[in-house]
Amino acid sequence: MRTPMLRALSAVLLLTMALALAGCGSRGPEFSIVSGSENTVIEPIVQEFCAQKGATCSFKYEGSLDIGLALQSSAGVEQDAVWPAASVWVDMFDTSRRVKTLTSIAQTPVILGVRKSKAEQLGWVGKDVKMDDILAAVNNGSLKFLMTSATQSNSGASAYLAMLSSAIGEDAVIKPGDLDDPKVQDTVKALLAGVERSSGSSGWLADLYVDAASKGTVYDAMWNYEAVLKETNDRLVPLNQEPLYAIYPADGVAVADSPLGFVDHGRGADVESFFNELVAFLQSAPIQQRIADTGRRIPLGGATAKPEPNWNFDPTRLLTAIRLPEPAVIRQALDLYQAALRKPSLTALCLDFSGSMQGDGEQQLQQAMQFLFSPERTSEVLVQWSPADRIVVIPFDGTTRDAYRGTGAATDQGTLLSEVSNQSADGGTDMYACANAALKEIEKTPNLATYLPAIVIMTDGRSDGDSAGFMAQWNAVSPRVPVFGITFGDAEKSQLDTLATQTSARVFDGAADLAGAFRAARGYN
Amino acid sequence: MALSRRAFGLGLLGLGVVGTGGYFAVKDQPALQGLLGNRTNLFGFIGGEKQAFLADPDVIKALGGFGLELDARVAGSVEMVREPALLSQTPAFLWPSSSIMVDIAKQSGVKVRNDQVVLNSPIVVYSWQPVVDGLTKAGLVTVTPEGQHQLDLKALLDAILADTDWSALGVDALYGRARIVSTDPNRSNSGFMFAGLVLSLLAGDVATASDLAQYGEQVQAILRNMGFKSPSSGKLFDQYLAGGLGGEPMIVGYENQLVEWILADPARWARVQSSTGAKPVVLYPRPTVYSAHPLIVIDPAADRLLDVLVSPRLQELAWTRHGFRGPLGTFTGTADSAIQGLLPAEIDAVLPMPDASVMLAMLAQFPK
Repeated sequence: MRTPMLRALSAVLLLTMALALAGCGSRGPEFSIVSGSENTVIEPIVQEFCAQKGATCSFKYEGSLDIGLALQSSAGVEQDAVWPAASVWVDMFDTSRRVKTLTSIAQTPVILGVRKSKAEQLGWVGKDVKMDDILAAVNNGSLKFLMTSATQSNSGASAYLAMLSSAIGEDAVIKPGDLDDPKVQDTVKALLAGVERSSGSSGWLADLYVDAASKGTVYDAMWNYEAVLKETNDRLVPLNQEPLYAIYPADGVAVADSPLGFVDHGRGADVESFFNELVAFLQSAPIQQRIADTGRRIPLGGATAKPEPNWNFDPTRLLTAIRLPEPAVIRQALDLYQAALRKPSLTALCLDFSGSMQGDGEQQLQQAMQFLFSPERTSEVLVQWSPADRIVVIPFDGTTRDAYRGTGAATDQGTLLSEVSNQSADGGTDMYACANAALKEIEKTPNLATYLPAIVIMTDGRSDGDSAGFMAQWNAVSPRVPVFGITFGDAEKSQLDTLATQTSARVFDGAADLAGAFRAARGYN
Repeated sequence: MALSRRAFGLGLLGLGVVGTGGYFAVKDQPALQGLLGNRTNLFGFIGGEKQAFLADPDVIKALGGFGLELDARVAGSVEMVREPALLSQTPAFLWPSSSIMVDIAKQSGVKVRNDQVVLNSPIVVYSWQPVVDGLTKAGLVTVTPEGQHQLDLKALLDAILADTDWSALGVDALYGRARIVSTDPNRSNSGFMFAGLVLSLLAGDVATASDLAQYGEQVQAILRNMGFKSPSSGKLFDQYLAGGLGGEPMIVGYENQLVEWILADPARWARVQSSTGAKPVVLYPRPTVYSAHPLIVIDPAADRLLDVLVSPRLQELAWTRHGFRGPLGTFTGTADSAIQGLLPAEIDAVLPMPDASVMLAMLAQFPK
């Protein structure tokens, strides 16, 4: 009679253990998610669940391709779950199968939102619009748009692949060899010439649109998710700004499937079961309705947001999805985008060689430039320069030392790098003087409109002077030039933050993750 | 024996309480191991279509009753028997979805201790009512007296090879060319078997090496036309349900996948049936091929898993909850009313797969 006794004993034991655990309060696990920025609006729903479970949940927002590249790297991702915009990036990059139970939470197509009066002017309201019509509008100068970087963000990659598909024509899948066709390349290059601002993040791009609108600058159009366009339009209403009219290219759109997947770090069964419960929670009927209310499409459940005919939004509309090409072709397409087809960038780099940079700061800055001007390293993470790019390097201290110009060709990169390596830190700091000089260099560039301009200031952030004088000059220059910051050493961010905010840009931490900071900054031009 | 740290801890507790002799007596009885909480944790790779089966709490409980706990990761059937990145993780078992995979595993140097077919499911095509209505008008789909849909797959393939638009096949709701999508045949079994079926259909009989020489290019054209192919059947089926009529008009899958989805939530299926949106429809290609699901045992610790999976309790759960037919292709229990009439009791037109050598030669022609 050992068995019944054993059963009773183990039951008592389990009960005791359960009570002991309950005594600690019902605490869920700490749980981290790396997610595409479009999920910012879904995070509160997830946090509700975490609070119910007594869990501490954290979100880190990154581009979908960055999440893919991290999965591919030997280190993998740190977080317990990945939530990119589309499963294609997991399928492509997660070659070691680190991700378990990848489940689509919602669907949303990448479409073109066009300011309604502009859409009317183009004759696109209430009409089927094809990619050819968009190309014609770009070519005759009547349309420019915001679009994220195709090598960093899923929405940009989706729009780009839809452009390629359409350029190949006949609703065909992009096949190996198609990308070498000069006609296809010319068509897509012409479409991408319509890019007015870029970014590494779909959410940030939408913020840019709204912020600019609130300051009186209205962009023509933006490629983004149907759901993000809904958020954007909801934010434009109180600003008394006209909505972005939804254009669903009739020859096919790419659809993001927002998959949530578990990455097992061996933290125990309760972490995995927490994840499974989270997925079940997100798939429960009431939550699906709340997710649908954000403008996302919920498959087969019947939950849907109300159509809003004033901007052509209809989440029940049947879409023709483009077929994504094979992984090797996608990779080739991304390289082609970065190396040849994207709108060329015009980047002025202000490098702080003031005395306060001596030591760590200076060393980090030199390493940064080594990375930035090594084509083999930048192409690994898809941030390589192209020969069509224009680069200005301006070392500064209390004054600007000199300005070195070059293209993105490998030989020019080598020359720029050797100029930088001759610099050493000394003297005072005036980053505003350098920003002024950078702006002048940008202004005097021939065919300025064919480039995406940006100023990137790399500094520890402690500068004499203030932004007022620079902003007066900045306001007089068209197009608007965003001023990004990358911090080094023992950095003081506040001055950079002010400049970045005033010029619709961002500040990145170069000391913590150099490649990451550059990849992020480069995504914006 | 591989023990999780927690299981080991519990085992030690049991040891202290009951005394050494009793503990070891129970430990050696497989059916009693669950009582001790002394579970053997087995790590292995499975085809995505079996993920829900192994995640079923009753299946976990039944396995636990036999002292087993699985850490099953989803991978494509073809890649799990070939990819060094996966095999180097030293799985205790592999559970791919076709008997041929056993041969291929052996050829890749996997030390196969034992293998046996545990489940069966025919390859089917999933589509949507508006597509099926069009194809019925066009004569490519017929309905049997029992109400099941049969697809003239050869006629569909011919149409795809001729770049036919959906509208020319009677499907007006969709823009562009007709296409069917499978998983990546180099990685996943349903795509692999579909490629074998396509080759045989083009050849007019079970394909041989000379048929491959003659029709291989056409098979490649059909696969190229699919573009990006999912690495796993489970993922493709999820994409089909999530993408809907516009995203995934027609995919290749296993018969059990829709059954399982219905049984997981019959009320959801009732809602779908009564909604105004397009509804999923299962089409049986005629002829089709049968996907067997052989368990490949590598680590001696996984020997017992095989016995457990073919036990009546697990076979019944496999059919009544997850739609897998038994090792002989028959139903192994009484089905839920939600799926009454959905499946034919028998699949009468089944083609054997071409030989492993023909299949491997064909795989080598596809881009990896």
